[in-house]
Amino acid sequence: MTRYVLTRAWILPVLFAAIASESALAQEVGTSPAMDVPDLQEQASLAGIEHRYNGPWEYFVGGGAAAFDCNGDRLPDLVLAGGTAAAKLYLNRSPTGGALKFEHKADAIPASAAKKVTGLYPLDIDNDGFMDLVLLRVGENVILKGGPDCSFAKSNREFVFDGGRNWTTAFAATFEPDRLYPTLAFGNYVDRSAPGSPWGTCHDNFLFRPGGQDGQPDYSEPQALSPGYCALSMIFTDWNRSGEPALRITNDRQYYRDGQEQLWRVEPNRPARPYRAADGWKRVQIWGMGIAETDLDADGYPEYALTSMGDTKLQTLDEEAEDNRPAYQDIAFERGATAHRPYDGDDLKPSTGWHAEFADFNNDGRQDLFIAKGNVEQMPDFAAYDPDNLLLGQFDGSFYEAGKAAGIALDRRGRGAVITDFNMDGLLDLAVINREAPLSLFRNRGTRTAYGLRPMGNWLAVELQQDGVNRNAVGASIAVKSGNETRVRKIQIGGGHGSGRLGFLHVGTGTAERAEIRVKWPDGAWSQPYRVFTNNFVVIRRGAKTARYWYPAEE
Amino acid sequence: MMQKWKWPLLPGLCVHSGLGLLLMALPAKADPAPPWREQARQQVERTAYSGRLTGQTLAELIGKGEMLFTGKLSSLDGVGRPMATQAIIPTKRKRPPAKTFHRTAGLDASSCAGCHHDPLAGGAGGFAVNAFVSEGFNNADFDSTDPQFSNERNTNHLMGSGLIELLAREMTLELQTTRRQALRDARKTGQPQKIDLVSKGVSFGHITATPDGMIDLDAIEGIDSDLVIRPFGQKGVMTSLRQFSVNALNHHHGLQASERFGIRWTGEADFDEDGKRDEISEGDVTALVVWQATRQPPVQLVPDVVEWRAAARKGDTLFDAIGCAACHKPALPLNSLIFEDPGPLDTAGTLRRSDVQTPTSYDLGRQEWAERLARNEKGQILVPLFGDLKRHIMTDRQVAGLGNELLSQRFVERNVFQTTELWGIASTAPYGHRGDMTTLDEVIRAHGGEARASRDSYVGLSLLNREALIAFLKSLVIVE
Repeated sequence: MTRYVLTRAWILPVLFAAIASESALAQEVGTSPAMDVPDLQEQASLAGIEHRYNGPWEYFVGGGAAAFDCNGDRLPDLVLAGGTAAAKLYLNRSPTGGALKFEHKADAIPASAAKKVTGLYPLDIDNDGFMDLVLLRVGENVILKGGPDCSFAKSNREFVFDGGRNWTTAFAATFEPDRLYPTLAFGNYVDRSAPGSPWGTCHDNFLFRPGGQDGQPDYSEPQALSPGYCALSMIFTDWNRSGEPALRITNDRQYYRDGQEQLWRVEPNRPARPYRAADGWKRVQIWGMGIAETDLDADGYPEYALTSMGDTKLQTLDEEAEDNRPAYQDIAFERGATAHRPYDGDDLKPSTGWHAEFADFNNDGRQDLFIAKGNVEQMPDFAAYDPDNLLLGQFDGSFYEAGKAAGIALDRRGRGAVITDFNMDGLLDLAVINREAPLSLFRNRGTRTAYGLRPMGNWLAVELQQDGVNRNAVGASIAVKSGNETRVRKIQIGGGHGSGRLGFLHVGTGTAERAEIRVKWPDGAWSQPYRVFTNNFVVIRRGAKTARYWYPAEE
Repeated sequence: MMQKWKWPLLPGLCVHSGLGLLLMALPAKADPAPPWREQARQQVERTAYSGRLTGQTLAELIGKGEMLFTGKLSSLDGVGRPMATQAIIPTKRKRPPAKTFHRTAGLDASSCAGCHHDPLAGGAGGFAVNAFVSEGFNNADFDSTDPQFSNERNTNHLMGSGLIELLAREMTLELQTTRRQALRDARKTGQPQKIDLVSKGVSFGHITATPDGMIDLDAIEGIDSDLVIRPFGQKGVMTSLRQFSVNALNHHHGLQASERFGIRWTGEADFDEDGKRDEISEGDVTALVVWQATRQPPVQLVPDVVEWRAAARKGDTLFDAIGCAACHKPALPLNSLIFEDPGPLDTAGTLRRSDVQTPTSYDLGRQEWAERLARNEKGQILVPLFGDLKRHIMTDRQVAGLGNELLSQRFVERNVFQTTELWGIASTAPYGHRGDMTTLDEVIRAHGGEARASRDSYVGLSLLNREALIAFLKSLVIVE
C-alpha cells in the first residue's frame, strides 16, 4: 500500500500539538468557532413521539433506531428499539422545511418480535424493492420482510434464518460478489448461560452468507466468528481500498479476557478469518461501543471513530506501516476529538460514548462527529451528567465541541442515534435513543444570528438506484467534487450503536454551488460524472446519462 | 479615471470627469482616510444601507460603489493573493506565484474600470483587455494564451445590468413556479405531467414531472438543470451582480470578499495570506452592486442623418424578418423595478437574502433614465436588451467561428453561449466572445448552430439590405 505521507519532519507533531492545544483551549474557554453552529431544537414530544428504551441489565447496552422510507414518499420513517418495551414505527409526516411531525403506526412491527429489541437496521434483503428490517434482540434475532405501506412480516423461516437465542448487540451487512442476497453479520455480547458469566464469557459472533434463489434467501449455514469479544458494533469496511470489505468489530473490554478490537477478512467463498498481529493488526483494548467510518482526507482509506469509556479513538492508517497492513494510529488527540469527559457541568469523570457517526451538520463541507453519551447505568467512576457531543469539523482538520451551543447537551443517557434530514430542508436532523428517558429528536433549524436563524452552507442529497441485486447500492461510494475538493460518502449498513439508516446520502458542499458526482458502485465500477447543482435532492440510477432531481411535496 | 481630489477646497465632493456627475461622497462619517491615501477600498458597513434607499442615501452608496469600481486598487487595499488562486471556490495555492500581476492568469487589472471603460466606466473593453477565464483549480498560473488553459473573453459592458438581473430573477421565479405546479399536478393526478418551460415568451424546452416527485430534465433547453437563469458572463453562468463582483474581485485584483473568503467559510480572515484581513466587506460588495445595477441602459438612437435613419428603419424590419429577433428579442417585459440586494437566487458563498436581516433595496424606477423605458399595455417595463437570457449552440460543422474555445465553463459546453444582448452593440466593438471580430458583418457571419438559418438569410441578403441591418445595429448605443 502506498499512502501519501506529508512529511517525517519533527515539526509536524509540534504543529499538531499546537493545533490540539488551541482546540482544547477553545473548548475550555468556550471560544466561538469560525464556522456556523447548527441550532438543534429538541421537539420529540411536539413531533408526536413518546418513546423510551427501557429494561434491566441486558438493556444497559443497545437502544438503536432505524431510519428509512417504508411508504414510498422518500421521507425517512423511524423505527425505535424499546428494550423491554415494544419497538415502534413512526411514519414521517414532517412538512418540508417545517416542524418535525411523526405518526405512530401501531401495527407495523409484529407483536411477537417487537419486544426485547436492542437495535435495528434497514436493508432490502430479498431485492423486492421494499425495505426489510433486521431486529437485534435479547433472544431470537428477527428479519422482518418489508411490504407496501410500511407493513412487515416475520420472515426467519422464509429466509431460512435461525435467529438464535443470543444477546445480540451489533450488525452489519454487505453484498458479496456473485451472491444474490446480502451477507449478514451479527455481533453478540455476553453469553449469559456460560459458567462465570458475565466475566470472560463473550459469545461468538456469526456470519450468515446467503444461498437461495428467486426471492428466497437461504441463510441456513452461518459461520461462527470465534472468538467473540462482546461486540457492540461492527461494520463492513474496505479498509485497504481492495474492493473487498472486511468486517471490523469493536468490543467491550468490560467483559472479555485477553480480547481486543477485531478485523476479519471476508474473502469470497472462503471462511472469514481474523487479521492477527503477524498481519500487522495492533492490539487495541477499549470499551468499544460504537464505530463510525468516514474518509476525512478523501484518499480512499477510511478513518474510524471508536467510542469507549474515556477517550474516543480516531484511527487512521499508520503512515509508517507497510503496505496492506491494518496498522492504525490514533489521531483523536491531535484533532481535538477525544471527547473524553463532559464538556459541560462540573463532573470531570470520564465520559461513556456510544453511537458515533460522521455527518456535516452545518453544510460547511467538513465532516462533523456526533457521539451519543451516557452513563451505563450508575457507574460511579464515570460521569453521570454526560451530554452528547457535536464535534464540528474545522477547516484545519481539527474538531470543535459545539454540543452545548447547538442545544443537544441534555441530561439523558444516550445510546443509539440516526442522523438524517427528516423534513427535507437540506439540514441534517438528529434522533437519539436514550436509556430510560424520552427519545431526543432534534430539528436542525440553521444557525443562530442576532436577528434569528439563517441557513448554513450548500448541500447535496444523493440517492443511488440499481436494478436487480442490492437495489439500494449498499457498499457504493460517491465522490462529490467541487473545485479541488472531493468529498467521499459511502452507503453502509452497520456501525454506530445498534442503529442504521438508508436513504439520501447527505453531503455539505460549503460555498460550492455546483458539483460533479461520480459513483463507485458496489461492484467497483465507476460511473460517468454527473453534473449537478447544489441544494438539490439528486437521484442517480445506474447507467443513466443524467442525474435527476427529486422535490419533496409541498403543503 | 478619477480626477484628483479638490481638497480641502471641495470637502466631501468627488468629481468624476468621465460621467460628468457630481456625487456626494466621503461624508465625514464614512472615510477618515486622507484623500492622498493610495486606496480605493471603502469598507462600507452594509447595515448602514439596509432597507429601502432613496435620495441622498442611495446616491451616497452609488458614489461609494463608483469609487470602488473606478478607483485604482492597491496593495494597501489588499490587492494580491499570494496563496489563493482565482477560483470561485476558495482555493489555496501550493506556493506563491512568481509575479503578482500576470496578464493571463491574473492579477490582470488595477481597477474594474480598467477593462470596463469603453465608452465610459461600466462599458466594455477592446481586445487589449480580454480576460482569461479558467476555473482556477488546475494550472492556476498558466502563462499562455493557448486555449487549452483558459477561455479568452472580451470584456462585456455592464450598462443596464440591474434590469438584466431583475429579468433573470422574474424568469427564474416563473420557471420554478411552473415546475412546482407540474409536480403538484403529478402528485395530485398520479400521472406524469409534461409541461413547457416558457417565461416572458422565451421557451426553455419542457420538463416532465412524475407522481413520485421526480423531474425529467432531458428536454430542457438553454438553461441550467436547477432552472435558474444565470444572466451574466458570456456563457450565462453567473447568477447575480453580487456573485460576479465577488468572483471578479478575487480573480482580477486578489481582493477577497469576506462573504465567501472570510472566516465563516474558510476559517481565515486572510485567506490569500497577503497580510490584509477582511479585505472586502459585505457593504463594499453592496456598493459595487448598486453602482452597476443603476447604470443607465443603452438606448436605440434615432439617427440625425436621414439616410441612416431610413436604413436603420429598414434594418429593424429585416432584423425581425430573417429571424435575428428569435433570440435577440428586442425587449423582454419586466414587472418590477425594485432591486433587492442580496437577491433571492444566490447560494452560500455569495451573501444570500437569508443571510441578512434586512436587504438593501432601491427602486430603479426612480433613476432618471427609467422614465425613458417603454411600457406595454399591462404596465410592464419593456427592457430593450435584444436578448433572451438563454443559451444556444453557436456552431455547426460549416460555421464554427464562435467555437474557438477548448474548455467548457461551469458545465456549459465550449460552443454554447448565452445570446449576447445587443443593446449598446454600436458602442462596444470589437465583437464575439473573444473580441476578435472587427465588424458586425464578421460576427453575424460567424453565427452557426441554432443561429445558422438566420445567418444564412443575412448572407443571402443584398448588399444594401445587409448594410441596412448594420445601420440598425449601429443605432443601439451606450449613452453618457
